[in-house]
Amino acid sequence: MFDGTLDPTRQTTSLQPKYRLALKTILPAVLALSSYSFPIAAMANTEVPQPEAQHACYVTGLSEQVRCGSILVPENHQQPEGKQIAIHYTVLPAIKSNFGAEAFLAIAGGPGQSAIDNAAYFDKVFSKVRQYRDILLIDQRGTGRSNPLNCEGEGFEAGLALNDESIDIAATTQHCLDEQTADITQYGSESALKDFEAVRQHLGYSKLHLYGISYGSRMAQLYMRHYPQVLETVTLDGVVPMQQSVVAIGDAIERATQILLDECQTTPLCQQSFPTLAADFAKVDSRLAEAAITTTTRHPLTGEASELLLTRSKFMGAIRMAMYGANIRALLPYAINQAAQDNFQPILGLYALNMDGIGLAMGMHSSVVCGEDWPRLDDAMRQQLQSNYFGEQMLIGFDESCPIWNMPAVSEDFSDAIASDIPTLLLSGENDPATPPSWAELAMEKMTNATHLIAPYATHGVAHQSCANNLIADLVNSRDVAQLDSECLSRDVSRNFYLNASTVETTTAANDAQGASND
Amino acid sequence: MIAQIRTMLKKELTDAARDKRSVMAGLYYAIGAPLMMCGMFMLLISQVTSPDALNINIEHSERAPDLVKFLASNDITSIDDSSRKDIVLSISEDYASNMAKGLPAELTLSADNSDEKLQSSIRRLEKSLQLYSAEMGSLRLIARGIDPKVVQPIKVNVEDQATADSKGGMILGVATFMMIYAVFISGMNLAIDTSAGERERNSLALLLSHPVTTRQIVWAKMAAVTVFAMLGLLLTLVISKIAYGFVPWQELGFSVNLTPEFIALMLIVSLPIALMAAALQLFVSFMAKSFKEAQSYLTIVLVVPMMLSLAASYNIAPDTMQWLPVSGQMQALIAFIKGKEIPMLQLLLSSASTLAIAFALTFGMEKSLKSEKIVFGL
Repeated sequence: MFDGTLDPTRQTTSLQPKYRLALKTILPAVLALSSYSFPIAAMANTEVPQPEAQHACYVTGLSEQVRCGSILVPENHQQPEGKQIAIHYTVLPAIKSNFGAEAFLAIAGGPGQSAIDNAAYFDKVFSKVRQYRDILLIDQRGTGRSNPLNCEGEGFEAGLALNDESIDIAATTQHCLDEQTADITQYGSESALKDFEAVRQHLGYSKLHLYGISYGSRMAQLYMRHYPQVLETVTLDGVVPMQQSVVAIGDAIERATQILLDECQTTPLCQQSFPTLAADFAKVDSRLAEAAITTTTRHPLTGEASELLLTRSKFMGAIRMAMYGANIRALLPYAINQAAQDNFQPILGLYALNMDGIGLAMGMHSSVVCGEDWPRLDDAMRQQLQSNYFGEQMLIGFDESCPIWNMPAVSEDFSDAIASDIPTLLLSGENDPATPPSWAELAMEKMTNATHLIAPYATHGVAHQSCANNLIADLVNSRDVAQLDSECLSRDVSRNFYLNASTVETTTAANDAQGASND
Repeated sequence: MIAQIRTMLKKELTDAARDKRSVMAGLYYAIGAPLMMCGMFMLLISQVTSPDALNINIEHSERAPDLVKFLASNDITSIDDSSRKDIVLSISEDYASNMAKGLPAELTLSADNSDEKLQSSIRRLEKSLQLYSAEMGSLRLIARGIDPKVVQPIKVNVEDQATADSKGGMILGVATFMMIYAVFISGMNLAIDTSAGERERNSLALLLSHPVTTRQIVWAKMAAVTVFAMLGLLLTLVISKIAYGFVPWQELGFSVNLTPEFIALMLIVSLPIALMAAALQLFVSFMAKSFKEAQSYLTIVLVVPMMLSLAASYNIAPDTMQWLPVSGQMQALIAFIKGKEIPMLQLLLSSASTLAIAFALTFGMEKSLKSEKIVFGL
């Protein structure tokens, strides 16, 4: 019962999933920026896997019983008799199954994210789709439960004091590689696609509706290329076109940052509170580019006195990650403003959100990026990447790690545009810090039955930040992208910026409070 | 003997089929009841579920623009038209100033919580407000360099044992009750017609004067009424199976589906009940002095199986009920619907007690048909 007071338990349970998703559905960070400190549970299992028949099970965040199971596929599809790995799947059964032979396959991002771990999120966003159709979630090979390629590294208790800019990328990559028992060259997107198709056949679905978020949109496009006959509709959300190397994410981050700064300038409340935001940002950035700042602070979780080494990488990383969530993003002007005044608590709070990792299987992440994105960088692209902080950092990171990972490059035609007449909905968020709307335009170049919708207030992953999930349900039912009524997307669902550490609402009172707190 | 019963059964059924009233009475219920149930459920679902776009009265929305935007993004808006629900959310005057100081900003939610039509909308609004509050709470902590996880000391993972089938069990419980009742209703008019009616038409004495035993007459009449009862049930099941498919159960988060297995089980389990119903109805009708009287008695007598059935669907005194006729079978059917194991011993015992009552009544009828008082309704 809502009574005006905060119930702390309810409080975070309701917020947490939002955060997790925003952070998990991301495109790659440079390996050394965020990767090697993830203590993700099980290492690759050396036992011979057994297929699990479909059985009732519970998955994280969902109280109801759903169906789980696994099938065995060859690790190397060229050697069907060779080593087998288990591909796990979860079915969220349709509430009222009128279309038993059709399923809605939702593909997670990353690369390296587990779809099954996000079952609660997919269930919530696609509740309307689920009224009539099963939702199928597959842990892509190398992620989640399907022979995950995780990397265990240094503990993150030293996260605050850790100098993440001095990590030896080559050594940590080598260390991660040495840990793997799997043949890491088999964990690219195209091998994984064969697994998806095997799961579909195993479960007896004759048709699929696809939803791919972020990197998952690449998997969906590959599905369109190789098995178009089984697809009814496709939704690409936060689109990574086949023609695009994800390493170029730096431009998108810079673009989103600029939008944020501009938006604050044109919003009266924000402009009055932080009139010099762009200068503040530049000031902190250039100060950190010269030297990291060391201060003593309280640990965000333990409350113990801790040393904080604020590097440029941590500062920029915290801002980048905050831009994934429309709600967390609202705190950024205040956080930047405070950092310029030597109060690093808000930045610390944002940084702490991702300190224990973003839940990616980094081995699989490397196999995908080093095989599909890194090799296609030519001189012109490299030049372009140098032009901003994140592009530069990505380039340095992958140039060091990919030669060690030694993933064979995909063939040239991998990066051809997808030609298709399958009803396809492309979704972009105007404020997306990973996949800008222009990428979706590129992806639909040769699609003859596609519509691209831009949600003006959304960041990365439009389906959960707008009415787009209802549009997807409409598309699945009508199979017609032309008749979708996208008007609801333009409704103002933006969030006010925080004006101090407490309020989003108004000026006068806020100024009083700010004055008081600055005393 | 069997041949004679068969001939008489044929006579009874031909008689019954000629009597449109008996046929229609059975049909009315078998067709009407499932349709009415579906109509009722549809109405109920549309009333208890919150509309996609919830329109409430937000007073002083200018005091909290961000909150109003947040609610709008959850499809909760304040538009002054006829779709507006009787829910008032009032934003206090010091909302913004309290919020700026980090104090709780006050809202007043005013609505009638006993109004079933509003309950899901009220809950939805409360949930949205809680979400907003929780989100701001977390961001306030982040702004102070604290991980919001620290204010979530306990995380409860709920594992709901309900299955997709058992979630619809409550609804199917009521539906099962309605189907069992079909067994009683469908044969009732025929039972009266073939006993009290036959006597009023003075053909009962004529029948008795033939070289057949009273036992054969009673059995033939029983068989005819049972056939009618079972036909009525079958029709009810078929109509239900079709009609339930049109009810938007998914809005309630579960599905109600009559499987062929359930229909088969229902038909088998109902056979002893149909026999008992036939015996009971014939017995009471013979005891009555006239057609009219038989009708009034039967209406009262039918309350008993109805009570037993209801007691089972609402789980009243389950330990006693499981051995009694009708309620025992109901419990077994509900267990089947919920995907649990069918309690075989209980089902057998309650079926046995059902048949015992049927035979006792048949025996009573046989005896009574030898009495002139009964035959001539004196």
